[in-house]
Amino acid sequence: MNIDYSLFFRAMQPESLLIEAALAIIILDLTVMRRKDLSARLNVASLVGALAVALAAVLALRNGAMGEILNGVLNLDTLAVATRVGVLGLTLLVLGIGTGGARIRNPAEYVVIVLCAAVGFMLMASAQQLLLVFLALELASLSLYVLAGFDKSRPESAEAGLKYFLFGGMAAAFLLFGFSLLYGLTGTLDLPGMSVVMAATGFHPMLAVAMVMILVGFGYKAAAAPFHLWAPDAYQGAPAPAAAFIASASKLAGFVLFTRLLWGSASQGQMLGATPGWVPVVWLLAGASMLVGNLAALAQSNVRRLLAYSAIAHAGALLLGVIASGRSGPGPLFFYLTTYGIATAGAFGVFHVLENQGGAQKLKDLAGLHRRSPLLAGCLMVFILSLAGVPPLSGFFGKFAVFAAALSPAGLGSPTGWLAVFAIAMSAVGLYYYLLILKEALVRPAAAGATAVKVPAAAALTLVAAAGLTLIFGMFPSLLLRWF
Amino acid sequence: MPHVLFYFFSFLTVATAVGVVVNKNAVNAALCLLLSLVGVAGLFALLDAYLLAALLVLVYAGAVVALFLFIVMLLDTQGGTRKPFKRLTAVASTVGLALLVTGLATLVSRTQFATVAVPTAAGQAPVGAVLKHYAEMLFTTYLLPVQVVGFLLLIAMLGVIVLSRKHAVPEETK
Repeated sequence: MNIDYSLFFRAMQPESLLIEAALAIIILDLTVMRRKDLSARLNVASLVGALAVALAAVLALRNGAMGEILNGVLNLDTLAVATRVGVLGLTLLVLGIGTGGARIRNPAEYVVIVLCAAVGFMLMASAQQLLLVFLALELASLSLYVLAGFDKSRPESAEAGLKYFLFGGMAAAFLLFGFSLLYGLTGTLDLPGMSVVMAATGFHPMLAVAMVMILVGFGYKAAAAPFHLWAPDAYQGAPAPAAAFIASASKLAGFVLFTRLLWGSASQGQMLGATPGWVPVVWLLAGASMLVGNLAALAQSNVRRLLAYSAIAHAGALLLGVIASGRSGPGPLFFYLTTYGIATAGAFGVFHVLENQGGAQKLKDLAGLHRRSPLLAGCLMVFILSLAGVPPLSGFFGKFAVFAAALSPAGLGSPTGWLAVFAIAMSAVGLYYYLLILKEALVRPAAAGATAVKVPAAAALTLVAAAGLTLIFGMFPSLLLRWF
Repeated sequence: MPHVLFYFFSFLTVATAVGVVVNKNAVNAALCLLLSLVGVAGLFALLDAYLLAALLVLVYAGAVVALFLFIVMLLDTQGGTRKPFKRLTAVASTVGLALLVTGLATLVSRTQFATVAVPTAAGQAPVGAVLKHYAEMLFTTYLLPVQVVGFLLLIAMLGVIVLSRKHAVPEETK
């Protein structure tokens, strides 16, 4: 077995750069920065991390689609490269909004764990071997559990971390059981080899069991409807940048991986997508998520819980995109994931700045934001309208692309088409609670004694950049879609 | 003979695994885990995966469980007087078990299991049987997973330090 190690090292440049930066940050923090105060340590660590992430994105783009690496353990196709760059962009966003808050107690470790999670996400995007798939998923998940419980000054954060950990561990067990059944059925761990064996042997009842296990696992991880119970608590209790990371980059990498397991990549045949009977199950999950997410969000008075239920609703729409991407390719789904990630991470960024200024998380704490900080109010408006799917912004085009992909094969002649119609109706419900947030921020006068909000420079720059991207991708969607 | 051994090791594994869950005393639970791992190692040996069996005994039964015991004794946790299960938990687990058994029984009785041909390259020794072959796999196909596991453990360690370390400076918020 001959391996081209130089090719392997070149393909792994972005990942290894992030890991090296993470180790460098720990060393730096323990030597040079040892006696400095917390905010200086956070700023230095974030700066080093952000530089590494930006450089890694450049390397990922320069290397481009390299095809199969290490005898097919990795497959760097266009989708993998796009996901890598997307994950790195969202990581940069999360690092940017995290600065300026002095509440994080172990700043260097925080940045290191964010970087390691990013490595996990990037490997998830390109892994072609079930063992690596599972390990990459666990590397990312373990980092997210720690991030969710990172804020030790608030008991809610510990609750968020514990709940996320318990549910996540359960999901991992289901997923691993499904994977082991797949391995037992096909005798191989490689996804391409697996699809060959499955095509040759035909349907086997155990395949359906494996499929159910995998669906349950991914349902938990994506917070789809019957498995969504951890999401509101985790989103509410976790530190805002961690919640932003859970909602954005982890969704992006997770759904790309799920699509890959179902539909394979362009060069190989269908993977599990050939199993009969999974579409109705995913259909039900998607419909239930949209229904539960949108209706429960109407009743929330806490902005973070509201965003959590809206995330559940979006997970439903994304599952619809997963069904549709078998025919239309992963383009629309990827566009939806990226733009949704930017908008939701941006919204969490705005709330993070507000919380650092002493505001709690209630809807009414947003009152008078347009006077207290026009910049934050403007950015929040862009993010929330994009999440709601209002036309000039990228969220609209993401929804449009996914629904069009779901409707195009058979129109209303198929259940998928009807689900798309249901999703459109539910988007109208969503508009109501998104506008509730904006009403508080833009219309309601400030409470007596409310002072102007000071926005840290790095966070302001990040938020403006994210809002700009949301606008640009909305007006020129081909910037992302031409990759596919 | 292998059949007898298979049933023996399976019974050992399952029975001691149940022991891990129901035991109130943490030390007894850890010792049950040790026996369970020995049972799994026996199953591996029956499958001709001798290296895996040896590694399991060395790493898990030897190092990891010893570490468990060490920590349990260090923390000096007592089982307490609390019942291990509430009635609701017991009912829920019984229902779950019944569902699982029914599902599996239907699956086994209603379907003919076609033997799935496992494609192995001709003339190749099974993985793990030959040490050299095993080493070769470790540096080719499984190179990346091994590295990822390394960083996974690093993250776990960092997480434990961050989440469990007590800070000398008291909270100013309290």
